[in-house]
Amino acid sequence: MSKRIVINPLTRISGFLEIEVTVDQHVVTEARTTGNLFRGFEQMLVGRSPFDAVYFTQRICGICSAAHSMASSLALEDALKVEPLEQGRYLRDIIHCCEFLQNHIRHFYQYTAPDFVFIEQNALFQTDHNDFRLPKAINDRISKHYFDSLPISRSAHQMLAILGGKAPHNHGVFIGGITTQATSEKIVQLDSLLQTITAFIDEKMIPDVYDIAKYYPDYYGVGGGYGNLLTYGSFNDYKELGTLYVDPLVSTLEMTEPEPFDESNISEKIDYSWFTREENEYQPDETVPEPDRRKQKGYSWVKAPRYNGRPMEVGPLARLILSGAYEHGISAMDRTIARALEAKKIAQIMKTLLREVLPGVDLQKKYDLPESAEGRGLVDTTRGGLGHWLKIKDQKLSFYQIITPSTWDFSPRDDQGFRGVAEQALIGTPIEDPNNPAEIGRILRSFDPCMSCATHVFSKGKQVKTIKVF
Amino acid sequence: MEQPILPPESLTNEAIAARLTTTADKKQREGLIKKRNLVYLELNGCSGNIISLLNGQNPTFEYTLHSLVNLRYSNSLMASEGEQATEKLIDVLDEDFILAVEGAVALKDEGLYNVIGSWNDQPLTGLQAAQMLGERASHILAVGACATHGGVSAAKPNPSESVSLQDVLPDRNMIKLPGCPVHPDWFLGTLAHLLLYGEPETDNLGRPLMFYSTLIHDRCPRRPFFDRGIFAEKLGDKTCLFKLGCRGPVTRTDCPTRQWNGSVNWPIGDDTPCIGCSQFGFPDAMAPFISFDTTRVVKDE
Repeated sequence: MSKRIVINPLTRISGFLEIEVTVDQHVVTEARTTGNLFRGFEQMLVGRSPFDAVYFTQRICGICSAAHSMASSLALEDALKVEPLEQGRYLRDIIHCCEFLQNHIRHFYQYTAPDFVFIEQNALFQTDHNDFRLPKAINDRISKHYFDSLPISRSAHQMLAILGGKAPHNHGVFIGGITTQATSEKIVQLDSLLQTITAFIDEKMIPDVYDIAKYYPDYYGVGGGYGNLLTYGSFNDYKELGTLYVDPLVSTLEMTEPEPFDESNISEKIDYSWFTREENEYQPDETVPEPDRRKQKGYSWVKAPRYNGRPMEVGPLARLILSGAYEHGISAMDRTIARALEAKKIAQIMKTLLREVLPGVDLQKKYDLPESAEGRGLVDTTRGGLGHWLKIKDQKLSFYQIITPSTWDFSPRDDQGFRGVAEQALIGTPIEDPNNPAEIGRILRSFDPCMSCATHVFSKGKQVKTIKVF
Repeated sequence: MEQPILPPESLTNEAIAARLTTTADKKQREGLIKKRNLVYLELNGCSGNIISLLNGQNPTFEYTLHSLVNLRYSNSLMASEGEQATEKLIDVLDEDFILAVEGAVALKDEGLYNVIGSWNDQPLTGLQAAQMLGERASHILAVGACATHGGVSAAKPNPSESVSLQDVLPDRNMIKLPGCPVHPDWFLGTLAHLLLYGEPETDNLGRPLMFYSTLIHDRCPRRPFFDRGIFAEKLGDKTCLFKLGCRGPVTRTDCPTRQWNGSVNWPIGDDTPCIGCSQFGFPDAMAPFISFDTTRVVKDE
């Protein structure tokens, strides 16, 4: 007998996500993820000053706002033909590192841990299931770390503000790198805070995640999905430092080794999204469709990006595997472990970048706007590859397209019958108690869904000429 | 109140806010104030205000959770999920609770552009939740730009037809805490005041005077440059950012003295103009955020 399970809201994520699964003989046989929020940023951006994109697009997302400042600054540099100094790149990437640290620590302790750890007697932490397997001593330790982590993630945002003015929604990341200059005082302030954060990751976060993995080994066997991985590159291609993390790469199960990522293979589909347009597939730099909440086939505000027609997983696990730093496998637990391991990696990268920073370098100038231009910024952020595509006409934004990491991971199905990455990851999952299914939320949270990001997208349905961006 | 707070004690907003929270803590320990229920609703927005609240320092978020309120509902933080989470929202309706809302209310297609959960197998829209809880709450805090006046969610051309919380609860008195995001002290200080002494004194727009009474421009450390007519020409300059489009002259917050993220910095300290994120009408009324020459001849739109 099959049973339909709906989880809405899926809590402990950013934004609103609904999940519907069909369970047959205690196994998930069908799954549907629904993005439940629409804001329409791409339409709002049309007509605004191109410079405003950096601060405006950050408002897409409260937990990963610096990511959008990165992608929009890169897109504007591309359009304005500005090449930042390496010092500018270092400082901007340090701000980005701070966001990774803030995000990964909060995602693990505030969003993931309550799935496996009973936190305490408090209305906020009342649970729906009883699958808590950790011995009391370990449970109590991680539960304490839930609170101990708060000053740590807070200080990651504090580091971000030292260079970025404030967090969330920083003012620092901009065309050319960052707005302000590094000073010796700021450099040691950052180094000091980073030391405390690094110690926390090494001594608490990584042991905690492996303890959870030890007592929930079945999560190495679920939540795998397609196994197609994608990264736009992360902390890569510095003139003197080379690549500190990972180059732009893709891998699918058919490939024997990862291949270079090629931007022209990205398309977006809307067969099952609440949008209408004549064609259901288009390139990111073409115009995109009108929202239509009443579309019969539609079931999500998230669109379906594909690479060579394939759904691709993005995020920390994809990056670690593609960089050759992780070989254990692809599953819900591997994804959660990867996030903790990546936090350590990012802390090391930030340390490396800090050593290269010189105080007192002025990175800014008075920028002129072209009458018309196009640009795109692709960068891997906390949750995976983020892309902004923009066009300028009459010195104003005439087009803005955004494809976020959670759009890749939480897309609906497409015309070729491919489910979204997270949907596929649920198929075949054994559900012990269909009335209180702990498994589904645990698997979905392993992707760190950011539905504020995934469901913002929209732009006016006017066909424009396709423009080659390379 | 044991001791009235009078001079020569420091009367800066920061000192007052710090005293409020210390007093709240003390009274809570002594059993003089009772923890009250707090429902924290996220609607059409970026959930950046709850992230900002996690950044709170003295009071910290941990302290708030343990000493000030019983946080009964928070999409970002609660352990429950699905209808069991929604049930916790329904349960609190019959009790006394303070309602905090971040995000705007999307009106398009009867609110279906922002579904926050489901109840009895039906979608629960942000609009329904805001009205249902707003009518019963003992106090309401509109948190951040989107909840107080529509904010970025209602930016032109407002595709989700978003409005402020007040627009869907026209008869309810509410405290408005604009900001994109809200400063954690503005929220936690207001909450402490509510628990200790009731609603704080507000201006005609509903903003607590203790945080929103003074123009940034009036306390800006770069004011001497303004007075002498020395203006920055690009970001990164250390002089007055007025001609780059700084909104300090119209924005009423205590950012210059309070600063952000543990008082380490603030936008003007980062050599960028204030973009007026705490002003009603942000972002449209505050755009463009950055202009490289505001003394240019403005062409017709």
